[in-house]
Amino acid sequence: MALLEIKNLHASVAGKAILKGITLALEPGTVHAIMGPNGTGKSTLSNVIAGREGYDVTEGEVLLDGKNVLAMSADERARAGIFLAFQYPVEIPGVTTSAFLKTALNAKRRAEGKTEVDAMEFLKLVKAKTAALGMPYDMIKRALNVGFSGGEKKRAEVLQMTLLEPRLAILDETDSGLDIDALKVVSEGVNSLRAPDRAFLVITHYQRLLDYIVPDHVHVLAHGRIAASGGKELAVELEAEGYAKYLDAAA
Amino acid sequence: MKPSEIIDHPFGSAYAMRLGAKAPWLGHLPGPKTEAWRFTPLRTLASTPFVPASASNDVDVTELPRGLPLIAGAARLVLVNGAYRADLSDREFGQGLTVSTAQEFASSARSPLALLNAAYAAAGISIDAAGAGLRPIHLISIGAAGAEPLAFHPRLRITVAPAASLTIIESHVGLPGQTYFSNPVTEIVLAEKASLRRYVSVAEDSEAFHLATTTISIAAGGSLEAFHLGLGGALVRQEISVRFEGRGAAARLNGAYALSGRAHHDFTTVMDHNVPDCHSSQVFKGVADGDSHGVFQGRIHVARDSQRSDARQLHKALFLSRGPQIDCKPELEIYADDVQCAHGAATGEIDHDHLFYLMSRGIDPATARSLLVEGFLTEAVIEVSVPDVQAHFIDAIRTWLKSREIARGRP
Repeated sequence: MALLEIKNLHASVAGKAILKGITLALEPGTVHAIMGPNGTGKSTLSNVIAGREGYDVTEGEVLLDGKNVLAMSADERARAGIFLAFQYPVEIPGVTTSAFLKTALNAKRRAEGKTEVDAMEFLKLVKAKTAALGMPYDMIKRALNVGFSGGEKKRAEVLQMTLLEPRLAILDETDSGLDIDALKVVSEGVNSLRAPDRAFLVITHYQRLLDYIVPDHVHVLAHGRIAASGGKELAVELEAEGYAKYLDAAA
Repeated sequence: MKPSEIIDHPFGSAYAMRLGAKAPWLGHLPGPKTEAWRFTPLRTLASTPFVPASASNDVDVTELPRGLPLIAGAARLVLVNGAYRADLSDREFGQGLTVSTAQEFASSARSPLALLNAAYAAAGISIDAAGAGLRPIHLISIGAAGAEPLAFHPRLRITVAPAASLTIIESHVGLPGQTYFSNPVTEIVLAEKASLRRYVSVAEDSEAFHLATTTISIAAGGSLEAFHLGLGGALVRQEISVRFEGRGAAARLNGAYALSGRAHHDFTTVMDHNVPDCHSSQVFKGVADGDSHGVFQGRIHVARDSQRSDARQLHKALFLSRGPQIDCKPELEIYADDVQCAHGAATGEIDHDHLFYLMSRGIDPATARSLLVEGFLTEAVIEVSVPDVQAHFIDAIRTWLKSREIARGRP
């Protein structure tokens, strides 16, 4: 059974149809890349899967391990194993990164029937994870994402991902705003999480990220539909030739 | 005005009847047409048949309530129903601190509530601080009414000598039971280069009234850091007036409130830049739930010759539901031309993007909201420079958040 199944998904925002019939199946252990120009529904797709308010699903299904994701609230989806790495992680003043991480981790553990981690275990865990991502450990004492550089925010997203160990990780334009060094660190973090029981949906505008996170499948999203699918060579082709032919064909 | 001078005022009859029966002052309280009290109606207060505190009406308080902050090394000063309690207080305050508990002294406050206090307060407490390395003082005021609604009028004067530095923590709490009305007046005088850190927590019983008037004067080079926390009471007003009397003085006046049920909380501040070259900053944040009512009135006055004044004021509030009311009235009266003044006010709801971000990490909506509210108020509490006090205030906010969850049927 596919880990994530998207069947004929239609969604609209404020009455305007954005997704117009997306069908996609992610097998465990695979990385799928979704590419496409701006305004074709890439972020809508990630938000609909993650459960952000303001999107109306007018048709179709999204199943995680066969369970109806669309019937779950955003927090239920997260506890079921969906993780969205945000394109623009929000800054939340007053909430420390450590309090946030510990609350999220324990919510997940409770849902899995595991015991909560105590303060000592938590600190030990975070120390190891931040070190692996080349992040200063002190960063968890700071307010969540407040004053973080673009690179720090994306690293913090990957840190959350490595702590929460999702079934499905969606990376929404994770490469935006990253210099090449940060891109490498973030990609290594993601690659270290590749596992036989986990799938990735990597949404990106450029092929560059896919040099570091090498996908098994690449899909082109144009006008709310998947216009083409292929292997990783499709990304290279898109980089060379652009999206024009898919936009024309789908229009 | 001293209590004995008040005999000509309408409240004078109260003074004459100080230990008499029912309060004759209720008809003289400010009404809704008094601008300063427009948002804080005193109807319920005025219609409650309060009796003055007296031994016969007191509940016997023999120990301190739980949940008070533990401040390392602090000397404790306890009032029960406005009366000093030697048995619950520390006897020794250490070098440089003089505490006298039976003083009649004048207050510069002229508000009706301050006059009412003067009329009733039999004796005040005077704290005089001089020198360095003083022990912090923890003043605890406990309201505990017996069979009848009770009114009491604590009166406090704090003076800090030149170059001396004092920290005072005040906890205003109450025992559940009959309603009570606490009407404290505090007069603070900071001499040249004196500094005071004052942290006030008002967490009265949900049926209680608390109308506090504080006047602070700061001489040249003096500094004030104050934080006021408001966590409950049927009707609470914390009115704080700061007046700069000498150049180079600074005041940081901050606060936070968290209201639920039918709680009413009013912060009224006056920052009087009476002389040049002084700095003031104010950060107040509040959250309101249920049918509560939050008020912030902040007046900044910069006199004509008070050049190079720097005055900042910020009030931000969050509605946690559709029921509450929040009124905010900043007033800037600036008569000097070379000044830096900034004020900001914002009222809104919890940010949906923030909420989604937390929920997308598996945090349920109620917990996510609590985290965000705590974070919002923490932004003000971090202005407290004493770590013990800051931690206590954050704990108190967490306790408030938990009680709110319990009220909604969450474990």
